Amino acid sequence: MRGFATLLWLEYRRSRVWAAALLGSLAFWLWGLNQVTVSDFGERAGIRVAILGVAAAVGLVVLCFMIGRIRGETRRGQYQILLLTPPSGYLHILARAIFALGVGIVYYVILGGLLWWVAGRAGITPGTGSVLQLLFAGPFYGIGAILVPFLSWTLLLMVFLSAFRLSGPSWIPGIVMVAGTPFLFRWISEGIFKLSYSLPAWSMFGGFTRLIEEAEIETEIMITTQGALVPQEPLWIMLALSVVMLVIAGRIWQEVEG
Amino acid sequence: MTQAFLIVLRLMALALLGYFGYRLWMGTRSWSTRAVAFVFTGALAWQFIAGTW
Repeated sequence: MRGFATLLWLEYRRSRVWAAALLGSLAFWLWGLNQVTVSDFGERAGIRVAILGVAAAVGLVVLCFMIGRIRGETRRGQYQILLLTPPSGYLHILARAIFALGVGIVYYVILGGLLWWVAGRAGITPGTGSVLQLLFAGPFYGIGAILVPFLSWTLLLMVFLSAFRLSGPSWIPGIVMVAGTPFLFRWISEGIFKLSYSLPAWSMFGGFTRLIEEAEIETEIMITTQGALVPQEPLWIMLALSVVMLVIAGRIWQEVEG
Repeated sequence: MTQAFLIVLRLMALALLGYFGYRLWMGTRSWSTRAVAFVFTGALAWQFIAGTW
């Protein structure tokens, strides 16, 4: 446990500039939201929501770069020092994933807060349940279904590439994994679509969508009084896949460096 | 003509993939790494052989 805490501290030391830059970028997005001065009520809210969507995508890319810096660390010699440390490869992988996940949670919860702010500026005053869904349920669903799999895949990619660093160029494993992933993902997503809604769906943003209806904002999205019915299967399947990828990454670390 | 060209293209892609697979298999002694390489190479091979584009 002490080793894990040390690894988390190391992660903080190595990635704090990335984390600070990412969290600091929220001020930029807030500034950007304030620059939207379109007179049309619904259009203004739509543009602001789109800006937040871009912020979410940028955050995903930055977090993946932050977690996948093994090659740069290898060149600078930091990675070699890490390999000599007593904790197992699983703990190294877990520390990296948890630190990036923590930063991601803070970032996306604040983005949820900005969405709440956008709603407030649009004249919508959601109730406590809707606010909690905006701040936690929505961001956590996105984190579990999208961010965690991306982080796990990036970690697996980097550990997979570093396993070949002594035997030859890493562009061959890089090409094979990056090119093979879309096809694998297509098959996985087909399975997810088939399984979706087998379990009871989650009704999210119910009160919130009702308020949008009452505020008579024009939108192209179908809004029902029950809110958006979100299937829970994608979340569980992607989380399970992420755990598998993290375990494999840890196992490779153990076998290659152990 | 187009069909024959596509077959030749697929065969060349498969040959390149075979070379990649050989390099990946021989490039490590870790069985987990080999398994990951096998999964992704297999996905690409399946796509080249039976996949729709």
